[in-house]
Amino acid sequence: MEIKEVRNERLDEMYYDISHPSGLKILVMPKSGYSGAYAVFMTKYGSIDTQIPQPDGSYKTIPEGTAHFLEHKLFESEDLDAFERFAKTGASANAYTSFDRTGYLFSCSGNFRQNLEILLDFVQHPYFTQQTVEKEQGIIGQEIMMYKDVPDWEIMFNLFRAMYHNHPLRTDIAGTCESIAEISADMLYDCYNSFYNLGNMVLAIAGNVSVDDVIEVADRVIDKNGDGGMIERKVFDEPKEIVAHYTEEKLSVSAPQFMLGFKENYPDPAQPTKRELAVDMILDIIASPSSQLYKSLLDKKLINTTFSYEYFTGFGYSAVLFGGESSDPKAVEAEIKAEVQKFRENGISEKEFNRTRKKLYGRMIMGLNDVDEIANNMAVSYFWNEDVFTDFEEYEKITVQYLNELLQEIMLDEFSVLSVILPLEE
Amino acid sequence: MTVFEIAEGVRLVSIKTDKFKTSRISFTMATPLEGNISAKAILPYLLRRRCAEYPDFTAFNGKLDELYGAVVSSSVIKLGENLLLSINMTAVDDRFALNGDKVTDECVELLTKLVFEPIVVNEAFPDDIVEEEKRLLIEKLEAEQNDKRHYAFDRCEQIMFANEAYGKNRLGTVEEISALTGRDIYLQWLDLLKTAKMQLTMVGSSEPDMIKDILTEKFSKIERNPVVRETEFFAGFPKPNYVCETLPVKQGKLVMGFRAGMRNEDDNVYPMKVAVDIFGGGTYSKLFSVVREKMSLCYYCSASLFAQKGVVMIQSGIENANEEKAKSEILNQLKEVAEGNFSNEVFSSSIKSICDGRLSVNDIPESLCSWYTAQILRDELISPEEQVEKFKEVDKAQVIRAAKTIMLDTVYMLRGNGEGEEDGN
Repeated sequence: MEIKEVRNERLDEMYYDISHPSGLKILVMPKSGYSGAYAVFMTKYGSIDTQIPQPDGSYKTIPEGTAHFLEHKLFESEDLDAFERFAKTGASANAYTSFDRTGYLFSCSGNFRQNLEILLDFVQHPYFTQQTVEKEQGIIGQEIMMYKDVPDWEIMFNLFRAMYHNHPLRTDIAGTCESIAEISADMLYDCYNSFYNLGNMVLAIAGNVSVDDVIEVADRVIDKNGDGGMIERKVFDEPKEIVAHYTEEKLSVSAPQFMLGFKENYPDPAQPTKRELAVDMILDIIASPSSQLYKSLLDKKLINTTFSYEYFTGFGYSAVLFGGESSDPKAVEAEIKAEVQKFRENGISEKEFNRTRKKLYGRMIMGLNDVDEIANNMAVSYFWNEDVFTDFEEYEKITVQYLNELLQEIMLDEFSVLSVILPLEE
Repeated sequence: MTVFEIAEGVRLVSIKTDKFKTSRISFTMATPLEGNISAKAILPYLLRRRCAEYPDFTAFNGKLDELYGAVVSSSVIKLGENLLLSINMTAVDDRFALNGDKVTDECVELLTKLVFEPIVVNEAFPDDIVEEEKRLLIEKLEAEQNDKRHYAFDRCEQIMFANEAYGKNRLGTVEEISALTGRDIYLQWLDLLKTAKMQLTMVGSSEPDMIKDILTEKFSKIERNPVVRETEFFAGFPKPNYVCETLPVKQGKLVMGFRAGMRNEDDNVYPMKVAVDIFGGGTYSKLFSVVREKMSLCYYCSASLFAQKGVVMIQSGIENANEEKAKSEILNQLKEVAEGNFSNEVFSSSIKSICDGRLSVNDIPESLCSWYTAQILRDELISPEEQVEKFKEVDKAQVIRAAKTIMLDTVYMLRGNGEGEEDGN
């Protein structure tokens, strides 16, 4: 078993990178002075993985929402389900499914070894029956209905449907009431056997823990191996072009909501961290509360404090997104586009660059405080072949010239989509 | 933890630790949930975006960027029948600043400038700022109804507490906000400096000396006369009330309000908390294991205790057609708890889970800070560890007795009529 110690002196942090003989990657960051710990057992399998790789290299299509459905069902077993087992220790256990991953987690202030044992054990031992699958269709059906009334959620998926022709981002993470009706116990086993092999997973832990305890529990409880290795994700054939520049829906809301997105087609499904951080910096310079754009939109009463922006990236997708509430979403769109154009022409100044660099540095430090954030970051970084300190090394390499070059290739008008939710007419 | 009394009803609570990478500072004022609520509620938002030294919102945010992206936020919450108005700051700890920058001290100073040195023109807050903040607050209040879970909860509170101060929205009303003038808000600010109970809570590696000196100096010039409201606790037996409304949404929302039978916020609070947790807290609870897992009626169905008012609220998202089934099962499960029909395992799971949650507060600077901020009205502060000891003393018989005093008051059902257009793509 190979155990590496990875350190970052400036941050005064270190973690253990363990290649367990089972094929599982284990990452452990002990935090002194903390009373609790957080662990996440994650598979590189999310809602965009609607295709199971077959031995002959082809892919088999599975219903939308299967990854999320499987997440719900994995908590069950033939005798005590995982929640009942965690209830005996007092830990708070949960799970989540996102576009590109599924994580099973707990946080606890005591009984760490016992909790880790439960986590490793239940995720390794699925128990699906036709009867329990049918029962879950009712619960998840209500989850899907709940999200249909949440404007932030609807506006995002409407945007993706207008942005992507084929990419599975088009569908709600939980699927649809129709798609989940097709899910069977056999299908769940099929997905489980492909995506939950230990070579496609990672265990990340942060907090008041010792690495010896983690290894002792892992050696004892892990009874599978990662023969399958990391799964080769299907790359979707997605045209560069968008589907439509504008999409709208009416819902019970007090004022129009908007999301403006700029689709990108980065040639590699996984783009470099340096580029991602640089886009974050550009967005901060153009649109943060200290920017002229923000002030101007506020002065014109076009936005309120719900205004936000992000660089949304994952496997095979990246887009710059702006969102918020506005009496006139189209006017906001025009203002943002004009401001981006102005920056393209005039360039970002050294002064703006330096100020934002300081902010980014501070925000990266802040991200290493909470054990849940640390453990999730370690796990996700691993799936991207990076580590949790990569951001700190990469941000040093960013120059103002690089930002100005990048500005020429992002947020292009021809790839923009405006998604709007309008209030229902009285 | 160290507590300093700065002036009458003003204290500084310092939790010194170097385990975090950030420091957190909260300045909170507590004031009765009465009078011109909107004039009170707008203050933390108006004050947090500018001050005399940085009168321009854009320049102020530029200063925060320079302070390694320090974050300023504000909040208004209801605690029983008082309002807590807070301005909070999070900043990187000095150990991680470059070139020996003293980030925490600068942030502390900046925070006190926001609170004590706003822009004042002719004994009023300037019109342009006031008009902008009014618009932002009105939009915030209106946007809260976009989240139908939040909306249904608010409606149930309005109905249940129609004749009590607690029924008021923490931000007041759109009409109240619209009517505010710069002069009103300025006078409200002056009044709060004299009458609000105040606490500055600080978590981080810095010594509290500087902030102590600043606060002492500020309050030496202010004549203090703190006023807080004694929250009204319901006595007797409620007569259940039912209200149903319809909105064009896809999922129905059921909210049930109960009176816990408490006479004050400390009355039997630990057994009550456990009873409510067994009823509808964790995954071992009655509502999760029966209403969700066994009956598949919903994705969420949970109970929360609001001890400062002595009420228990149940929330669930269901299909319209399942309303009766859900309601009667929720009441049935409460009866089960009150009759002691829960296992020793569930009882001990509940205690363990509550205690684990309390202790986890120690690992997050924001949580630790809010833990003590929420005790602003109390004379004696209690730590998470001390509360854990209280929970460990609770026994099953006490929990059963507590559950028996929980009585239904109001049922609010928001029915969806299934409308809401599908999108065009």
